[in-house]
Amino acid sequence: MTTPAFRADGAQLGFLATWLVGAGRKPVGALGIDARAIDPHGEPAWISLALAPERMRVLFDDPGVCQAMRMVLAGSPVDVISTLVRDPSTIGGALTATHAPTPDALADDPFARIFPRTLLRIDGGFVGTMPTPAGPGVQRYAGAPWPWDHF
Amino acid sequence: MVEYLAHEQDSYQQGNAGCDGLPLRGRGTSSLSTQRPAPGDHLVDFELPDHHGNRRRLSELVGGDPAILQFYRGFWCPKDQAHFRGLVQLQDSVEVAYTRMISVSVDPPEVEAAFRAGVGARWTFLSDASRELQVQLGLLETTDTVHRPYIPTVLTLFPNLRIHSAYNGYWFWGRPTNAELAADLRAITRAIRADWDPPER
Repeated sequence: MTTPAFRADGAQLGFLATWLVGAGRKPVGALGIDARAIDPHGEPAWISLALAPERMRVLFDDPGVCQAMRMVLAGSPVDVISTLVRDPSTIGGALTATHAPTPDALADDPFARIFPRTLLRIDGGFVGTMPTPAGPGVQRYAGAPWPWDHF
Repeated sequence: MVEYLAHEQDSYQQGNAGCDGLPLRGRGTSSLSTQRPAPGDHLVDFELPDHHGNRRRLSELVGGDPAILQFYRGFWCPKDQAHFRGLVQLQDSVEVAYTRMISVSVDPPEVEAAFRAGVGARWTFLSDASRELQVQLGLLETTDTVHRPYIPTVLTLFPNLRIHSAYNGYWFWGRPTNAELAADLRAITRAIRADWDPPER
């Protein structure tokens, strides 16, 4: 699936694309995301896309990453939250989304404190609504993106 | 595992256990309920609003992990406040141990959200404001006619909602210590994880 992504002022920044692939078949350069975040019938959304720079390898076990997860669990719920998996041990960033008409709920994205983030507006048919993480777990299940919540 | 106490002790003793600070002498007390959750039982897969008001099913929250399910009186109870301080300490271990924690009270979601934030809990709280589950489980604390809270109770659960241990916290010392909870979670994890003994290759 592909969707154009816009800035708050309406200028198009590029596209977001997802593939549903089997384990170990992730396209080169793509990042893994919790499959529950993606929904071809989803409403239009604001996205906070926090991305680790290409040259930067940050472990999922980094205390800063763990603390960002704790802050997600402690804070107000959002419609979508998924870390992005670069490889089995490193994080590529995080995608947080709301279907609200304004991006206010994304103002304090904890992952924006550790990675540069871009605020995007997308049309319907891309991101869905996920259940709030049960908590208090901050460990991933067999290398899956957090908060994917089972082995 | 702790057997539930029969509430047939004299009212002076019950007065020490209650949490509202009101004299209990003369209040009606129920006989021991046979419906209360006990080790080996399979808990009903109930659905309640969480602290944000979203409907959540127990099995969804437990997922495939061991779980601690806590029923508490309310934010106003000093014994619950003390117990929660201990659970928040345990949370630092639970968060890395593929284990879930769930707390249930009769408070409305917004009250639970405030209490959760105040104690620093990062697990899910469920609101049984209608008290339907409380009745179903036989966990109404009949000696507190002001709040009609849950009898403080802690259950440790297998992923299929089978009860491993049940702790009756009507008296504070009936509540599990973090060490006892850790021992339960170790036993459950050992039973459900096929690779408890690390694979040789």
